[in-house]
Amino acid sequence: MTENKRNKPELNYYILFENYTHGLALEKLLKGEGIPARIAPTPRSIQGELSCGMSLLIKEENIDAVRECLERHKPKYHSIVEMECQINPNRNVFC
Amino acid sequence: MSDYVKMWEDLGMDLETHDALCQVLPTAFGDVYLSQENRPEGMGFWDFVVSEIHGIRPSELIEAQKNGQKVFGTFCVYVPDEVVIAANGIVTGLCGGSQFWVPGGEKVLPKNTCPLIKASVGARLDRTCPFFRIADIYVGENTCDGKKKAYEILAEDVPMHVMDVPQMKRPEDIERWAHEIEIFAGVVEEQTGNKVTVEKLNEAIKIINNKRKALKRVYDARKADKLPISGKDALLMMQIAFFDDPVRCAEMCNKLADELEQRIADGVSVFPEGTKRILLTGTPLAIPNWKLHHIIETSGAAVVCEEMCTGTRYFENLVDEEQTTLEGQYKALAERYMKNNCACFTPNEGRIDDIIRLAKEYKVDGVIDVNLKFCSIYDTEGFFVERALKEAGIPVLGIETDYTDSDAEQLKTRVEAFIEMLG
Repeated sequence: MTENKRNKPELNYYILFENYTHGLALEKLLKGEGIPARIAPTPRSIQGELSCGMSLLIKEENIDAVRECLERHKPKYHSIVEMECQINPNRNVFC
Repeated sequence: MSDYVKMWEDLGMDLETHDALCQVLPTAFGDVYLSQENRPEGMGFWDFVVSEIHGIRPSELIEAQKNGQKVFGTFCVYVPDEVVIAANGIVTGLCGGSQFWVPGGEKVLPKNTCPLIKASVGARLDRTCPFFRIADIYVGENTCDGKKKAYEILAEDVPMHVMDVPQMKRPEDIERWAHEIEIFAGVVEEQTGNKVTVEKLNEAIKIINNKRKALKRVYDARKADKLPISGKDALLMMQIAFFDDPVRCAEMCNKLADELEQRIADGVSVFPEGTKRILLTGTPLAIPNWKLHHIIETSGAAVVCEEMCTGTRYFENLVDEEQTTLEGQYKALAERYMKNNCACFTPNEGRIDDIIRLAKEYKVDGVIDVNLKFCSIYDTEGFFVERALKEAGIPVLGIETDYTDSDAEQLKTRVEAFIEMLG
């Protein structure tokens, strides 16, 4: 799951927000434009001062469309963080 | 978001310890949930709730308290939400599904207590669960010896009311449970300062029945040959139903059910054709206990139904809405709740009938009987469950586990072998 066909690590993008109202508004906007985005709990390592809460998880192949949409609509968001895909269904570490 | 930190501080929580949970939850949720492909769009609501799990609902509850409403923390599907809602109170589930809280419970409880009880007590005493800080009163029930004694310990720290659940199902036991509900109504009235009236209780009965119907619609979609939703996602919806506002819960579940029914019509499935269908039966899976579902669904099978308190027992059977007196309503509530087949009853043949019926309704290939470690009543009842399933020709695997990761690989090996055996 962590590597794509070119054997490079897959990248994920997290859009962070100051509050969930901004997050839900952007989710709606992206959905309206047909751009895939999923609500996800923000990984603690990139939360910073924002504490725990929602982010929007964007796959690598969709980030350009997202950036273009952000440029056009100027919705409120805090930042976009790029990170190697941390999702690993075979880790078997629960909480 | 920093508002939540302030809120947790005001609630007297141990922020440093709580932060350890904030660190592991996003990773576990990513591995278990976000690794799935083609999830229903409607799951976005529950992903959102998990993302804000100790923030958004707690802040709603605190707002409600400011407006004079009282919050009742409950542990069991036997406590009738309807009575609390009729008095304008709010019911919330409590933390208890993570290993994170277990050591805190072990400080005061014997080690050989089930992890659900240890985690619940630990979450309260270690001050790491906002729901356990917010509730005005906690409502327990004597559905097992471990809980009974744990409530005595909790009662030294919080206001508690314990309901005396009968241990048999004779007509006089149902009468007695109706009386217990009436006593509970008195406690609720005293706590809220509001009267439970026939009209209000009737309204509350309808609210909770609607929630049950909505949950059932999602479960019914899991009966389809092509599964429109994973077991993990259905479990998440079910776990959060214990915490959410019941009207919103019904609305979101109905929305999800609309999508799932459309998927069925379109032939959309989240699993490849021929994926083996598993029914889980046993002890509850409190949030964030996703371990066994994840192991099963990454081993080539799908969980299609849970005969559990976090499953069919929560929504099957409706309360009669036609009663016109409080006495009649308490009796109707008692009759519905006493149809729940918990292993605390003797005998408990109804549960065996339920498992066989559900196995047919959901067209399962096999059943996994999963019990939390040290839950002696479910463990013992496993004897009858497994024998009845064998007699019915339904393959069954018995598993005993807890919240730790240490047995995950071993469980995976056993589950994979079981699935392979299903042919």
